[in-house]
Amino acid sequence: MSTPTSRRVFLKSSTALVALPALESLVRGRAAAAPASTNPPPKRAIFLGFGWGVTESTWYPNIDQPGTNYDLPAGLQPLARHRADFTVVQGLWNKYSNEGHWGSTMWLTGANRYAQTGQSFHNSISADQVAAAQLGQQTRFPSLQLTGSDSAGGSGHGPGLSLAWDVRGKPIGGQSTPVEAFHKLFSSDSTPLEQQQALLAEKRSVLDTVLENAHDLKRGLNSSDNAKLDEYFEGIRDIETRLAKEEQWLGVPRPRPSLAEPKPGLVGREEIRLMYDLIVAALQTDSTRVITYRQPVSTLLTSLEIRVHPHDMSHYHTVLGEKLDASQRRDQAQSELLAGLIDRLKATREADGSRLFDHVALAYGSNIRTGHSLDNCPTLLAGGGAGIKLGHNLVVPKGTPLCNAWLTVLQGLGVSAEKHGDSTGVLKDLVG
Amino acid sequence: MKFASTLAVWVPLLVPCLALAAESAPRASIPQRHLALLREHCQKCHGGNLAEGMFRIDTLPPTITTLETAERWQKVLGALNSGEMPPADEPPLNNQAKADLLDDLTRAMVVARKALSDQHGEITMRRLNRREYRGTLQDLLGVEANVNELPADAGAGAFDTVGSNLFMSGNQFEQYLALGREALDEAFERQAAAAEQRRLRYETENSTPLLAKLHASDLDAKRRGEAWIKAVEAAAAKPENAAIVAEIRKTAASDAIFRRSWAKIPGAPSPESFGFDTGENNADKANRAAGNTFMHPYREYYLKQPRLDEGAYLTINNGDFNSWITLLVPFNWPVGDYRVRFRVAATEQAPPERRFIEFGIHPRHGQVMTVHHVVGTMDNPQVIEVPLTLTRRHGERDNRTLFIREKGTADHIDQQRRRFNEGMKRSGIGPEFALWVDWLEIERVPTAGDPLPPGLAALDVPLTDKAPPPSPEELRTALARFAETAFRGQPATPQFIDRLVKLYELRRVAGDKHLAALKETLAVVLASPRFLYLAEPATDRQRRPLSDLELATRLSYFLWGMPPDRQLLELARRGDLRQPAVLARETERLLKDPRVSGFARPFVHQWLDLDRLDFFEVNGNLFPRFDDSVKLSVRREVHESFGLLLRDNKPLSNLLQADYVVIDGVLASYYGIAGVTGDEFRPVPLPAGSPRGGLLGMGAIHVMGGNGEQTSPVERGAWVLRKLLNDPPPPAPANVPQLARLAGKLLTTRERLVLHQEQAQCASCHRKIDPIGLGLENFDAAGQWRVEDSYQLLTTGGKPDPKLVKTWQIDAAGALHDGPKFGDYFELRQIIAAKSDSFARGFSEALIEYALGRPCGFSDEPLVEDMLKRARERNFAPREFIHALIASSAFQTK
Repeated sequence: MSTPTSRRVFLKSSTALVALPALESLVRGRAAAAPASTNPPPKRAIFLGFGWGVTESTWYPNIDQPGTNYDLPAGLQPLARHRADFTVVQGLWNKYSNEGHWGSTMWLTGANRYAQTGQSFHNSISADQVAAAQLGQQTRFPSLQLTGSDSAGGSGHGPGLSLAWDVRGKPIGGQSTPVEAFHKLFSSDSTPLEQQQALLAEKRSVLDTVLENAHDLKRGLNSSDNAKLDEYFEGIRDIETRLAKEEQWLGVPRPRPSLAEPKPGLVGREEIRLMYDLIVAALQTDSTRVITYRQPVSTLLTSLEIRVHPHDMSHYHTVLGEKLDASQRRDQAQSELLAGLIDRLKATREADGSRLFDHVALAYGSNIRTGHSLDNCPTLLAGGGAGIKLGHNLVVPKGTPLCNAWLTVLQGLGVSAEKHGDSTGVLKDLVG
Repeated sequence: MKFASTLAVWVPLLVPCLALAAESAPRASIPQRHLALLREHCQKCHGGNLAEGMFRIDTLPPTITTLETAERWQKVLGALNSGEMPPADEPPLNNQAKADLLDDLTRAMVVARKALSDQHGEITMRRLNRREYRGTLQDLLGVEANVNELPADAGAGAFDTVGSNLFMSGNQFEQYLALGREALDEAFERQAAAAEQRRLRYETENSTPLLAKLHASDLDAKRRGEAWIKAVEAAAAKPENAAIVAEIRKTAASDAIFRRSWAKIPGAPSPESFGFDTGENNADKANRAAGNTFMHPYREYYLKQPRLDEGAYLTINNGDFNSWITLLVPFNWPVGDYRVRFRVAATEQAPPERRFIEFGIHPRHGQVMTVHHVVGTMDNPQVIEVPLTLTRRHGERDNRTLFIREKGTADHIDQQRRRFNEGMKRSGIGPEFALWVDWLEIERVPTAGDPLPPGLAALDVPLTDKAPPPSPEELRTALARFAETAFRGQPATPQFIDRLVKLYELRRVAGDKHLAALKETLAVVLASPRFLYLAEPATDRQRRPLSDLELATRLSYFLWGMPPDRQLLELARRGDLRQPAVLARETERLLKDPRVSGFARPFVHQWLDLDRLDFFEVNGNLFPRFDDSVKLSVRREVHESFGLLLRDNKPLSNLLQADYVVIDGVLASYYGIAGVTGDEFRPVPLPAGSPRGGLLGMGAIHVMGGNGEQTSPVERGAWVLRKLLNDPPPPAPANVPQLARLAGKLLTTRERLVLHQEQAQCASCHRKIDPIGLGLENFDAAGQWRVEDSYQLLTTGGKPDPKLVKTWQIDAAGALHDGPKFGDYFELRQIIAAKSDSFARGFSEALIEYALGRPCGFSDEPLVEDMLKRARERNFAPREFIHALIASSAFQTK
């Protein structure tokens, strides 16, 4: 660990390196209002995760009908108008996953919970953060993490603060209500520029103060305690990076949102719908290019007036009845919401007149298939951003790593990754 | 024994070794007979160099000692669980043999995972968790921070003290800064108002003339509405209007809707001319005034009650007419400690179960905060007092409006309707009045003479902008003292104080006054690592005993969830604390202090998984008696029962079976136990043959073992195995094929659970879980005793089908897997109560994990034995476990 001074020097230089985009990207940043730019529209990634999986019998297309000519199952019916624009991949899993109630913890990471001796929990970087490291350099926010306002356990997500895990496998927090997300993206700062600069200087001074304290603490610690304290240093470093970014964006007004400030207190279906609107608005204004959303499931059920507990619902197999009904209605509602999001991505135009949808890679799914089953994870991919084959019921050999799909998406987005999680290669059939 | 283990710790630490054979760790081995079975079925394809799928079973070591072997066995387990192996064209495994194999293999995996994640006694530094952070600010500044926005601490099913789950991030750092600032704001505001004394009383008879006037005006509106209707109808009856009337009636669904079109009928008068003149649809107003008289008899009945000139009755209603009585705390009253009082009586006709009153904030949407047994009579009303702390969060009108109401009348609008309609059905008027209130008052308690909280005392500079700001030297000293107090007795470096002074000056130059600049500066101290982390310096080479100060900190965070107090710090500074006699005496002192709730509540909550109590709403239509107040009380019963054991050092086994319950008046009413009055939870002897007494008789436990409508024998059975018998079933395996054979069939719970026995993957665990759960079926999903249950199938449309109901007498009889038989719940409870050794072991392991902030590993076995040995001598009294743990080298070593 370097001293505060040397780390600031390092940061400054690294900021200089990333600080190039200046005008062009800023103009493009307000693409909605700006005239067509000569640059091609940027690539974006959206990951939408829901906890408790899907209804096995009515969500998956028949594996005996691979290709484009398959019967759209009931659970995907609301997406019928988009059937040429998404692909369902069947046969993927995270082979290390053993937790029947963790639908999101390892979904984008493929990590082995037990990989570290002497620890009972381990995780690694999620696919979205791999994308953000590269796609996130030119936007105000490198990535955006949205989460449901309900408890993660009740929605079958498992440990974590969002779908995103950082490069050290630590959870990344996010915005848990549409109001919070709206303010992060669009609240404008009317403070005069000099005052904003002074404020930044003061924030740095605060960071220097706590770093002084952290270095003092660090001196006496053994190596495992030091590893723990590193989280604090990393946290401060994240803020420094963000301040550097804020400085770079100083004086650049926040974009005008395409929607009004959301009303507080919306939950379940309305909450998801609003978050989807915010996702479109965030991409449209080029505020960020990588977004994850850990969707609420328990409040979705409540908002559909379903009284079945979500975990109970996922065990519909033995009793069917109201639990199966709940599970299927959940699928319907989620597919309807997704279809609405795709509508809006298609309707939104880039500066060059093309559809936003054509520059987005969207992944939608869960680490849980149904019940406690963690194989054939429900995986739906859409959008033209990663250049993948759309309109297919793609059946890959059973036991193919889910991370192969993430790797395919990452490479398709132009992210230079050779491996992700336990990937063994790209899904050739998805690009071929 | 203790001496030996103490010595063992001082040897230089080796690199954490994987040798599972060490110490007393059980070996994660697969028994020989299973290996033979696997060879027989698998080796043909999975043996030798050309093994299928590159997976060889012949080279698989029977004992798991490395991560790599664990992963290979996990694959075998996964393939068997999913039914993938043996493949369909190969002979299947015998079901019983497969269940046994899965049972042992799953167990071996659990042992291996535990052994491989053993931290061998090392306690990694951790940050304060949410509640410790709150407790620390409470102690330091005397205010309660709102920590709900901080990320939740519990992860992966561990206690919230386990350091490996307590993360830090940039976001969180900023939240600490903001929370620290808010806490300082509040503390300074409290201090500024310390001398303020306020009192406000609402005499409830003031509501009587208002209610009378309201009712009179509604009666008048009714008369006018009726007159208007009559006039419109008269116009409509005229023969010359027949055509237009017929035309309107074609689309009007009711008479009231028909009258909306009065303007089209020649000669019909306007509702305005009858005094209905609002901005809205006045025809609707007139219709409603005439027709909406459902509550009139109830109101008239109210206004005829005696003693309305002295007080008021609480009604059951939709919010008006005194279904709650409220008091708005004036907006200019400062934050601080208050007392709320109300003088109240139960009426003569009040049945025993209606003699309870609820207090809370925010009448329309606020939940009950406290519930009180009303024992005062109309001749001799009683005064009930509730302490209340008002904070900066109580700024809005709704958050400053106090209410009292009858228990269980306004949790939910459905409940209000149900309760009113029940009364209406009985009397044709509405529910009788059960409670009478004389007045409701609030008083602010001045704290001017009280000692300052340690953080503020340490500052010792003016906490106001009216006095001249401190000199640079004074400020520097103040900051240094504050930091030392915040850092639990460890002084800060001069460089750190330099930077703080600079920050303060920066703020002053930017235009801040002294107090604002001071707040910003102190908030930085409260977001610094020395405040946020419980750090104990060490080297990699050698374990060392804790310093006295570190010991004081571990002790107070364990038993209070707060920093050490003055006395502990003093003993630590003098170097006395580590003397065994002093340490034991201090442990007793901490255990007897009310602050011990900072240990007991979070520990019990997490140890027994009480989280589940909030997973579901109990269905009020099925279980009308289980209202929010009962829920408060069943939760408290668990805590109070443990609290009593801790206070009196009574045997832990009283939690398995007892001849008493610890209840208040609410629960006595809910459980049907006579002769208990008042709000205090106290032990009450049980009649012979009562199913209550011990955790298995507690409402909370059974509510958690269901979904608010139906019971879940699987949840209950697994909970008993995990928490009472210390024989936790392994986590539900992934990828087990689901069985749907009995779906949609009309069966009893027991018949449905039989399915678990049909497939080895399920049977291996469920043969242990299900019999226990079924043995508890006499408790319904709201924790009441029952002898009968039923199952209702739904139609394809999701509606209950009255023809598809099955009702049966509950038969709780069964047998533990490979264990004794029981004929009913009482015999099952007896069998479980006989296993108090297992229970005590589970309790010890939970205490170790909670206190040391790391999983209890196999290397902790000697410590567990020490704790059990000492506790056994005192009949497993809880304080003995705690003393033994605190006296151990594990607790006193970094």
